[in-house]
Amino acid sequence: MLGQLFAKECKQTAKSLIYWLIVLILIFGFTTQLGNNMEIAKEPKPGRASYGYQASHDPEIIMSHTLGKLTEEYFRGNYTTYPIGFYKNVTLDKEDDHRIGEILKEAAGITGKEEAGRVMEDWYTAQTELKEAESGGTEAEDMGPNDVNAGDMMYREPLKIEPAAGLTYERFAELMDEADKILGGGSEYGKDDREMNAEVPKTYEDAKKEYNTLIEKDGLTGGYARLFCDYMGIFLGILPVFLAVTRGMRDRRAVMQELIYTRRCPSLTVVASRYLAMIVMLVLPVLALSVFPLAKCMNYARTAGITVDMLAFVKYTFGWLMPMIMIAAALGMFLTELTDTAAAVLVQGAWWFVAIFGGVQTLRGGMYGWNLVPRHNTEFNWQGYHDGFAQLALNRTLYAAAALLLTLLTAYIYSQKRKGRLQIRGKILANRKSKS
Amino acid sequence: MSTTIEIRNLNQYYGRKQALRDINLTIETGMFGLLGRNGAGKTTLMKVIATLLPRSEGEVSVCGRSTLRPQEVRKIVGYLPQDFSMYPNMTVYEAMDYLGVLSGLSRAKRRQRIPRLLQRVNLQDDKRKKVKALSGGMKRRLGIAQAILHNPKVLIVDEPTAGLDPEERVRFRNLLCEIAEERIVILSTHIVGDIEATCEDIAVLDEGSVIYQGTVTDLIAMTEGKVYTAEISKRELEALKKDYIVTSMLTLGNNVMARFLAEERPFASAKLCEAGVEDAYMYLMHAERGELGC
Repeated sequence: MLGQLFAKECKQTAKSLIYWLIVLILIFGFTTQLGNNMEIAKEPKPGRASYGYQASHDPEIIMSHTLGKLTEEYFRGNYTTYPIGFYKNVTLDKEDDHRIGEILKEAAGITGKEEAGRVMEDWYTAQTELKEAESGGTEAEDMGPNDVNAGDMMYREPLKIEPAAGLTYERFAELMDEADKILGGGSEYGKDDREMNAEVPKTYEDAKKEYNTLIEKDGLTGGYARLFCDYMGIFLGILPVFLAVTRGMRDRRAVMQELIYTRRCPSLTVVASRYLAMIVMLVLPVLALSVFPLAKCMNYARTAGITVDMLAFVKYTFGWLMPMIMIAAALGMFLTELTDTAAAVLVQGAWWFVAIFGGVQTLRGGMYGWNLVPRHNTEFNWQGYHDGFAQLALNRTLYAAAALLLTLLTAYIYSQKRKGRLQIRGKILANRKSKS
Repeated sequence: MSTTIEIRNLNQYYGRKQALRDINLTIETGMFGLLGRNGAGKTTLMKVIATLLPRSEGEVSVCGRSTLRPQEVRKIVGYLPQDFSMYPNMTVYEAMDYLGVLSGLSRAKRRQRIPRLLQRVNLQDDKRKKVKALSGGMKRRLGIAQAILHNPKVLIVDEPTAGLDPEERVRFRNLLCEIAEERIVILSTHIVGDIEATCEDIAVLDEGSVIYQGTVTDLIAMTEGKVYTAEISKRELEALKKDYIVTSMLTLGNNVMARFLAEERPFASAKLCEAGVEDAYMYLMHAERGELGC
């Protein structure tokens, strides 16, 4: 019975407008974010002016870059933070501002705003000179640290402040944690973020090593499969809920509920067939789209004479994206069955919003946490993926398990509604009528 | 195995409102009519039998299976709800096939039964038509076909003829009678003509209580000698309406031929006539409420 119902549900899904809208959005998302511009990384050649940037794990560099940022924000009197992923401009009261000054004094020996201003002035001057030297002295105008147009200037070097003599990394970490706490969390001084502050230029050797890792450890396709999942995940964190809600509401709209309720088919079979059909029908276009980057990788591999992992996209689609599809669809089904409304769109929408903005600071990958939409916006950083794999696996397992639990709960609610219980919509409507 | 529906001391509540009061019914094979005005509790009773509502108090068993085990009851019950519809974009055959799967029918059985049933309800030429393109009558016939798809022992049809034109209504009633030869068919309606044309056994519900259970003949017999006709002026009609229950009126120029209920001949020109189900139903409803004139 399950197999036959599943086939019928797939057919119904394939005929629904919302499904094809979702497919179109996926195609649009793929082509605009990845499809047209996806260039396979070439083997780096020596002698290039730049090989890009990378995060440094050197404590000295982390300290000098982080203190540079703190000095600038302390001088300006406002701080940028991302608590739960959303931008927030923080202005401190006198007492907290004073404490940040003390922290800066202990960590960098900068005594008050005046000295911070002088340091900033020196840095701006140095930047201007650098820019002038590069453009032959015609382009850049001298700018002060309070100049409103300062933001337009392309800085050649970030502001770096040497830590105070004798400051250990442990004490530095304590002070930065305190600063982050004063700022309400989500600042650039928190544990995870301060390590991302220190971006240093890559050398040829770094770039070569990164390329070799992509080829040897990731089989080329592994890196691109992660990048593919990163982009597709943005869409798949929200779209399945629309399919689930429309499927759940279809019975009520078509006045089919009682006809189905009185059939002998077990509730779990009805719900499971719908759920499976949704998952399969959503995974299919994703797999189809993954053929394009796979073909590009294969093409490059043929000319470069390297071997690729042909199944990488399939493995990543199932391991990375499917739990996302599963949880979004399951939550959609559960809330729609429970309330007979489209409330799931709001709930999933809010969750997705938080997940997307929360992921802004972890774009480079490796820090997956419990984010619904884990980010890894680069074909490189295999090491980060490797280091964060256990967390990612836990993350995906949790959501897949939660999805299955929600599906079982949906089946329970469905079985109760078949017996005339849990008719929450009726109660909501009755309540509305009695109030009006 | 039992072939009857047994309802014992059934009480049904919606919150504090009592929808059914101490219902006791035995329903046997054949057509069974459930008559009553809108809101009398007919749909509630049918939903309890169809396991769509949990009974609040009492016992309900369908062919020996308690409604406390809905899974068992659903195997032998077919249901045509009052607001019958199907997925509008499905074809007639697809809709039947989908419900056939939900009824646990194998592919082979569905292939065998669906064309036969569509032929029986005269929809064989419309099997590729989308449900949304069907007329009201065709939809109702499709409703019957889906309800008997799994060959249930009990068929429950709720207000099936509402909105049908006279020809479709007659065709539909005949279809129900044919189906009832081999199973219990419970027909719920507030249209007395449907009951008169199809049922021998009936129950009349009013405000959640059964106020009559028996044959149509016995119901009519209750009204024998109490139905009169008289040709009166339009002016006299108002006075007649105040004192008696007028069941029909036919305008004849300045006069009206009125049919009404009275315990004894009210005036000399009133002629005693043969009672019909409608007269009997009206008599019953008003007698129950103590509203009979005379």
